[in-house]
Amino acid sequence: MSGEHALESRLLKTGSERLALLGRHADVLMQGYTRDEVPLDNLSDSALRKLLAARLLWRPDEQSGVKLAPKVRELIAEMLSDETRRHVNADVAETLELIRSLVHSYREARSRGEHWRQAQQLLRLRQEVDDLNGRFADAIDSLWQRLNSDFGFVSQLNDKIRENDRAQKQIARLLDGLALIDFDELIELVGSDGSLRKLLISQLQQQLSHHYTSLREVQRRLIELMARFRKQQARSRLVSGMVAFMREHPGFVPGNYARRSEVPALFNQAAPLNAAAAPALDRALDSHVLSELLHQLPTPRHAAQIVAAASPAQLPENSLAAARQQALKQDVERFYLAVLDQPQAEPVSALDYLHESSLEWPDEIWLFQVIAEFQGLPRSEQRAFRLHQDESPASPFNDLRLIHDVALQLAIPL
Amino acid sequence: MIEHGPLLERLLAGEFICAVSDENAHRHLSSDETRDAIDSYLRPLNRRLASNQDASVYFLAWRQLNDEAREQLSRQLGDTVNSLLPLLEWLQLVQEALGRDTLAAPGDVLKPAEFSAKCEDNQSLRERLERLATDSFFGSQSEQLDAQVKQVFKRLKEHGYLMQPHAERQVFVVTGKIDYLVDLVRFIRDEENLPIDADSEEGAQESLL
Repeated sequence: MSGEHALESRLLKTGSERLALLGRHADVLMQGYTRDEVPLDNLSDSALRKLLAARLLWRPDEQSGVKLAPKVRELIAEMLSDETRRHVNADVAETLELIRSLVHSYREARSRGEHWRQAQQLLRLRQEVDDLNGRFADAIDSLWQRLNSDFGFVSQLNDKIRENDRAQKQIARLLDGLALIDFDELIELVGSDGSLRKLLISQLQQQLSHHYTSLREVQRRLIELMARFRKQQARSRLVSGMVAFMREHPGFVPGNYARRSEVPALFNQAAPLNAAAAPALDRALDSHVLSELLHQLPTPRHAAQIVAAASPAQLPENSLAAARQQALKQDVERFYLAVLDQPQAEPVSALDYLHESSLEWPDEIWLFQVIAEFQGLPRSEQRAFRLHQDESPASPFNDLRLIHDVALQLAIPL
Repeated sequence: MIEHGPLLERLLAGEFICAVSDENAHRHLSSDETRDAIDSYLRPLNRRLASNQDASVYFLAWRQLNDEAREQLSRQLGDTVNSLLPLLEWLQLVQEALGRDTLAAPGDVLKPAEFSAKCEDNQSLRERLERLATDSFFGSQSEQLDAQVKQVFKRLKEHGYLMQPHAERQVFVVTGKIDYLVDLVRFIRDEENLPIDADSEEGAQESLL
């Protein structure tokens, strides 16, 4: 008993000492991780001896330099999640072999009543199962890391495709490893022992089925990503191929696909159509909205235009009304000429002339136009006429004056 | 149908609808029911809803190919062929200038400023950009690098290959119409039996899924 305790305490002591070496020489070890060899300049002979003895470093042969031990490299890669160097250890067969022999020793110890050894074997079994579990968990973690970064640790698409391929192979190996674990065999192996059953059957089965699901999921996603990579690669190649071809053949014209009986779907693209609309006032409900919109229109910033310049913007007059207006104007002009022709220069009543010449203008309109014509004459010509207005107040209380007739008379005898 | 009014208007105006240009509309269009409803609405306009093979972009196609439609399609094909080389060269230029290992894909963000800066530092890129910008498709009149880049991005936006999420910010997003362009190129290659590297592996991988 005491011998076994002494062994354990010696293990503890040496182990701690050697682990401490990792910390003490961390810089040198990290340099060895990033380079081919470990630089020895800052390392004393005794330190180097200790590192070699702890198998943290090794020397492949006398001539070559000192290198990091594979396990240390793996440990660092694992700690840094350095996906370029992280390894996936899928060797399940050996672990299974170890578990079998540990189970046998455990049962032997139990049948001999060696409780301390029995407990030790159980501890080691537990550690082996944890290791197995941890290896799968690590591998799956590493795979997810690579997947989620789109293999961002390599820059070239070709490298990504290679990395993806490697990851898919790792998954295949991990799945093969999982398939090696035969629970029927394990059930037989553990027999009726409660603690073994719990460790190797119920617990392990649950964990492994979880790993299996994760692996399948990662695998599916990796294949998807690979398809995307391949597609991108194909696109790049297609575009650069077409560019090269078109540069070499500047006159290249593809067939007129639009004239085929079956127009390829890709080339059938309908002409754009503008869904135009204009404000309409034929619905009472809308006119309210439209008037609001009108009020919301920003006031134009430019200054008011000169009327003369704006004349083209006048609303075109109704052509019929314009013709009648013109006829009225000509008739009034004839009236003025008639007054000029009057030999006695007597005042001529506009209404009398209207009635005599059997024109059909209403009296009021006629008078308006006669007065307007007078007002419209240039001042010099206006002086040649005198316009008498026959007018009276509208009523005794209203000074509004009503014109009953006008009389035109030549002012200067010609 | 009312809820699809704005979408219909955009489709009728000749826009390509993809997950980048309008995620919501694109999702609606992936439903058979919506597509049928839109199709029957478009029937009197002699149009129907079409998409590329992956259904990553939707656009309107003629329902009946009458003479008028064929005439229009011929003209359009001519335009497409003329714009093909400048567009593909631009894709290559972006890939090289920004140091990417893949072509610009839908959803990629492009900044004209970054693109200018890269071209400014590299004589060969600068010359290629100059040649591209003054091509009649992009039609830049300027000798200034920034103005050339601006014009190129403007034209690509007009043609629907890029969109600008914020009018005041010079940041562009590649739309699904790029997929359509690549599909066109692939079709022309296959149809004309052009001696261009075939992407045989693509099909093999996809069939695994």
